[in-house]
Amino acid sequence: MRRTLLLTAWLLTDIVLFVGAYVCAYFLRVGFILSSDFPLDRYVQAVLVISPIWVAVMIGLGIFRLTRVQSDKRNILHILFACVMGLSLFTLGYYFLFGQFFSRLLLVYAGALSFVLTTIWHLAFDQWQRRILRKDPPAYPVLIVGANREAERFIRLLNDRLSPLRPVGVLDSLGSQQKEISGVPVLGKLNVLESVIKTKRPTHLIQCSNLEHTINLVSAARQHNMTYMMLPSVLGIAQKQSMDSIEGQAMITVG
Amino acid sequence: MKAFILAGGFATRLWPLSERRAKPLLPLAGKPLLTYVVESIPKDIPVTVSTNAVFADDMKAWAKTINDRDITISIEDAGHEGEKLGALGAVSKWLTEENIDDDLLLLAGDNYVGCSMEKFFEARGTNPLIAAHDIGDRELAKQFGTVIVENLSSSLGGGAGGGGGGKVTSFEEKPLHPKSTFVSTGWWWLPKGSLSVLKEHASKHPDNVGGVFEEFLKRGMTVDAFVFKETWHDIGSFESYLHLHREIVDGKTLADNTSSMSPNCILEGSISIGPNVKIEKSTLRDCILFGNSTITDCVLERCIIDEDCRLEGVDLTDQMLRAGTILKRP
Repeated sequence: MRRTLLLTAWLLTDIVLFVGAYVCAYFLRVGFILSSDFPLDRYVQAVLVISPIWVAVMIGLGIFRLTRVQSDKRNILHILFACVMGLSLFTLGYYFLFGQFFSRLLLVYAGALSFVLTTIWHLAFDQWQRRILRKDPPAYPVLIVGANREAERFIRLLNDRLSPLRPVGVLDSLGSQQKEISGVPVLGKLNVLESVIKTKRPTHLIQCSNLEHTINLVSAARQHNMTYMMLPSVLGIAQKQSMDSIEGQAMITVG
Repeated sequence: MKAFILAGGFATRLWPLSERRAKPLLPLAGKPLLTYVVESIPKDIPVTVSTNAVFADDMKAWAKTINDRDITISIEDAGHEGEKLGALGAVSKWLTEENIDDDLLLLAGDNYVGCSMEKFFEARGTNPLIAAHDIGDRELAKQFGTVIVENLSSSLGGGAGGGGGGKVTSFEEKPLHPKSTFVSTGWWWLPKGSLSVLKEHASKHPDNVGGVFEEFLKRGMTVDAFVFKETWHDIGSFESYLHLHREIVDGKTLADNTSSMSPNCILEGSISIGPNVKIEKSTLRDCILFGNSTITDCVLERCIIDEDCRLEGVDLTDQMLRAGTILKRP
């Protein structure tokens, strides 16, 4: 419910922001008058037609994913791409609707304003929504598997950055003697996995160790509709890595 | 004499196979490991099996499958490892609650002993008796209770391969530096006169069965050893389970008659196939398939596949798959 409300609010505010940015661009270019040569109502009509498509592009790029870090370079590039797309669609839309072109400078203003305002709003919204999503009970409870230093570092990272993904428990196949890791309780060995899933209801299972159990952890995640993720260190990969594909076959590239 | 089988553990090292069943109920060449343990006990000895609350129903269902035996299930009220009484605690509780005043045959439900119980009984005197086995490797011995046996004679038990009886002069539970490669196996016999010491010791150290023998020695009591050379396995890990399976099945394929295999399958080594398994176009080497699974176009080597799995187009080596796993190449 919390996630749905946040997402709905985000989508609606983005549409308002997009329309607002274009209206600001209009007044910046035309002046603070209502021109009869270039009527505001026709201009706004075109913006309103385009704004849902612009939002759809943003959704397609995964910008509205609540777990996404909005300040990430790739995310900002996606916003830029969506704004350029919005601008192109608006230009075409206005021409198709009214058979006219108009000021190029207005387009520069509209494009720049929509990108700057959207980026600032997304950065602010991200900070706010992280706090909302982490409140008890967390919207994205995370179950950590493995009680090693990698797990500890990862938990600290999630907590320090106020990630929407909040660790709620740690399981360790080797039976860690620790009671908690960075404030997150160690709940036992993997034999309690099913009961922990039932009580903690994690949305994500993140493997930080215990490589031999990968298949079974993936299987459990699949059965309980959780997202399974793994730290590269589980595979012994400490260097920079990325996901690539060769002839459509997914590959992990290291270095 | 009464027999008491310890089967109350949660078998965390055998996750995920132990997720749905107690370790002693793991299938071994068509029947549960626990059935082998019960079959080794003379029929005139009443048997009690200790289990935990989680696996109580499974254990009761299993007991019904053993028609010709008097089997009682003793349920320890433990829903997880932290609530366990401990193996010795469970024995002590049962002795007290049932007011047992008889000799006690104590057996580990997850151990497979290849020699006959009659030979073990031949070694009985008036002292507590441990069945010991020489595993011949001090590193391996660290995982078990080790004993030093003196005055070893070949006049008792031991089977065709030798072995015999002797006196235990030292017992150490999971020592860091084992002094011997003789380990205590899952068979112990306790004369009724020693049970008061067991109960007393269990009140302070409920989790350590071997510890009671250390206590006997500390009190100056004599502990006898029965040393056998036949096979012995403690099913504590994936490797030990597969090892025992290989030994029992001995390079054959044992398939339930409700299962099917297409002619283009290759089955090598020791293979057990449970009920309702369908295998097509696959190669299997040293595998255990519990049942109700479909394997298509796979290469499985040293794998244990729990129930209700669907595997298609995957190659797996040294894997235990949890029940309900679906692996399918996109």
